[in-house]
Amino acid sequence: MKRRTLIAGVTAAGAAVAAGLYRFTDLFVKHYPPTPYDDVLAALVDREEAARLGALVSDAAAPDVLAARLRTALKPNGLAGAVGSDIAAGRLTEVEGWVVPQSVALLSALAAKV
Amino acid sequence: MTAFIDARTLPSGTVLEPDLAIIGGGPAGISLALALASTKLNILLLESGGLNFDPASQKMYAGSQSGLSYIALDAGRLRYLGGGTNHWGGWCRPMDEVDFEARPWLPHSGWPFPRKALEPYYPRAQALVEAGPWIYDQKGDTENAAEGSVLPLGKGGLYTSWFQFSKMRGDVLPTQFGKRYEAELKRATNIKPLLHANITAIRLSPDARRVEKLEGATLGSNGGAGNRFTVKPRFVVLAAGGMENARLLLASNDVMKTGVGNQNDLVGRFFADNPVPRDVATVVSFAGPLAPFYGSNQTLNDGAIMRATFAPTAAFCRSAQVLGSLSTIEQPVELDETGKAAVITTAIALGVDASNAKARSLGCGMELAPDPDRRLVLTDEKDALGLPRLKLNMRIADEDFARYRRTLVELGRQLLATRTGMLRIDKKNRDDWMKTMDWGHHHLGTTRMHADPKQGVVDADGLVHGLGNLYIAGSSTFPSYSASNPTLNLIALTLRLADHLKKVVA
Repeated sequence: MKRRTLIAGVTAAGAAVAAGLYRFTDLFVKHYPPTPYDDVLAALVDREEAARLGALVSDAAAPDVLAARLRTALKPNGLAGAVGSDIAAGRLTEVEGWVVPQSVALLSALAAKV
Repeated sequence: MTAFIDARTLPSGTVLEPDLAIIGGGPAGISLALALASTKLNILLLESGGLNFDPASQKMYAGSQSGLSYIALDAGRLRYLGGGTNHWGGWCRPMDEVDFEARPWLPHSGWPFPRKALEPYYPRAQALVEAGPWIYDQKGDTENAAEGSVLPLGKGGLYTSWFQFSKMRGDVLPTQFGKRYEAELKRATNIKPLLHANITAIRLSPDARRVEKLEGATLGSNGGAGNRFTVKPRFVVLAAGGMENARLLLASNDVMKTGVGNQNDLVGRFFADNPVPRDVATVVSFAGPLAPFYGSNQTLNDGAIMRATFAPTAAFCRSAQVLGSLSTIEQPVELDETGKAAVITTAIALGVDASNAKARSLGCGMELAPDPDRRLVLTDEKDALGLPRLKLNMRIADEDFARYRRTLVELGRQLLATRTGMLRIDKKNRDDWMKTMDWGHHHLGTTRMHADPKQGVVDADGLVHGLGNLYIAGSSTFPSYSASNPTLNLIALTLRLADHLKKVVA
């Protein structure tokens, strides 16, 4: 076997193992394709559950609009702060009847759209 | 001791002349008679039924309906001594201060007196229904502390309030007034209980200022009228229930052509009941099961039977323009995938652990807004004694549901604010509400109380406007209704009437 072929083979095998390992860690930390909204979506611990809920948010705006609203809401104190403000101000959204803070509904809707 | 008299044994044409005739031997009539037992008044307590259920007598309650589907008119009440207490569930709770208020946003609201006027009568009413010591509201929190903690709801529109229950005797239903107070009625030498005695007409003086006499009849064995008798009382209290009070007034139309007390077309209007929709919401408690007193009755060491309920505060009722509602935790619920997603996503956002979360359904007893077109009218069909039968036009406004929905949203908000749980509203539209609709079987409002004769059938003392000696007792006089079950409250109101009668009749 030529040396060049050997190196190519080892490199390919290494890449395959690395890719496999990366997928394996999905069991612990989900990996998603990059989006223009990752700064906002980073507030979600479980994006899949959020997306399941978010798919049921009625009349959700386009992702750009949702992200812009969320950036404003999350800016001062993150998601916990935004949620607290929503609850105090009575900014609640019903998602299939579930009464949730508006920020949670918007974030979930965004997760469902990307 | 005075034995009960069976009116069927009276010679036909008998004339009885008591100081006071009480028409109806239900909780109002019996409470009134007992409250006047120590007086010198000669009292005739007229009960249309006997001591037990009788199908022929019960059939006289039958009527027809239009509008919203409702319970058959002969199904939600019982025509024998004890009346509605023969099938009640024993749920007791005093009405709230706000229930008595005239609220500008709620047409026809407002009692002619505040709750304070009833408060002296609640202890005796509580004793009559045998609901144990008075530990409603905050006192209930401490009394039940051994069973668990009250769900912290923080500052907001709802709080944990309490029902108390009429005493059970083994498997026997709560206090049935006929059986429970039979001996006391017999012991009272000034009370003459007359059974199987149906009043078929209230006859007024020609000037329509006083009741001159009552016409009575028994049911004959042939299915028609048996004996006929006459009562000539000095005073009359009509205490025959929310439907029958209106029926007898409307049917007695020889002098006042629209019926007794109906000069302003109010008798029979404003009928109400407490809607009891099931499965209105799902409540999730993040930390696991709620204390047992939320989901079932708890018997305390002092004998009180209690159950927690979520009630709106007076401030929330006023600011959010909602009516009374009493929401109770019911059955365990398995969450679907959407429910799990909602709980996981929301709990994480709140920074709480929901791995032990439990879900239960929520039921409710609601209050309806007063509605003059929810009404009872007479029909051409007659019962066995010739009294016209009733027809009920039943309605619920969309706004009634919308108001309660606002209350549920506020409960959901408070659960989130205290990071204790969350809530799903399970009703999307009117059809959803009606699918699981039950009723309290509480007949309210048909002879409403108001100081102004143009707005009420009776005045603040229960006296029929324009008449000098006809009073009405019971929940038919409630001008607005509350979500609290009426029995305890109507008894307190009746005891207030008894005090008034002691002065007036004596």
